[in-house]
Amino acid sequence: MKINPKLKNDLKRFLMDKIQEERSIVSVYSANLLSNEDKKNLANKFKELDWKKARFEIDKSVIAGVIIKIGSRTIDLSLLGSLSKLTNTLYEID
Amino acid sequence: MESLGIDIKLLIAQLINFSIFFFIVKKFIAKPFTSFLKSEKDKDEDKNRLLDKLKKSEETAVINEKKMREKVKKELDVIFSQSKKEAQEMRAELIKQAEKDALEIRDKNNKLLSEEKDALYREVKNKIVETSLMIVEKALKESLDEASRKQVTNYIIKNYQGKQKAYEN
Repeated sequence: MKINPKLKNDLKRFLMDKIQEERSIVSVYSANLLSNEDKKNLANKFKELDWKKARFEIDKSVIAGVIIKIGSRTIDLSLLGSLSKLTNTLYEID
Repeated sequence: MESLGIDIKLLIAQLINFSIFFFIVKKFIAKPFTSFLKSEKDKDEDKNRLLDKLKKSEETAVINEKKMREKVKKELDVIFSQSKKEAQEMRAELIKQAEKDALEIRDKNNKLLSEEKDALYREVKNKIVETSLMIVEKALKESLDEASRKQVTNYIIKNYQGKQKAYEN
């Protein structure tokens, strides 16, 4: 079956736009709902991120702090992350 | 002559008889007998000479045999001493090789032991780290109440200095 080239290009553009959009979406995971002050502080600390479409989700495994995900990038400011880093450091010590 | 009792005719006849007898004896008996004796004497001399020669050659053979035995004995001694020396060298070499092999085996075993020790140490260390962190995580989860979590989150966000690097998934 031959696909109409115009349709193919439109579909491709649509998917690329979707991917781009997904890449720029900021997701914040925390153990509790963040207060407005916290959100404001976050926006101030990470000014380069687009906070308009930010998603705030609750993940109890975080323990405390936040994990920010932007597309495939992750900024880990959680106690879980700190523990994980500590684990790696301890593993590396002889 | 007759008064002396000598008969000339008889004398002459006896002289002739004697001459004939002498001639016959000399011609047919004495000469072959002499030659027979001579040949026997020659044979005896030959025999003696041959015996002497045999004796001499026997003595020479005995001397040669003795010399040969001595030579063989010397050669055997040389071969024996050489063999002994070679055997000793071979033994020394074998001992050296065995010592070298033993050292290699010992080193290998020591290395293996050390590696196993390190592996065991790492395993124990990892287990300790894993268990400790599991305890800490559980303790944190259980001990932090809602308010404390909020406080900690607030503290972390406030005090973030931008040192945290983002990582790609």
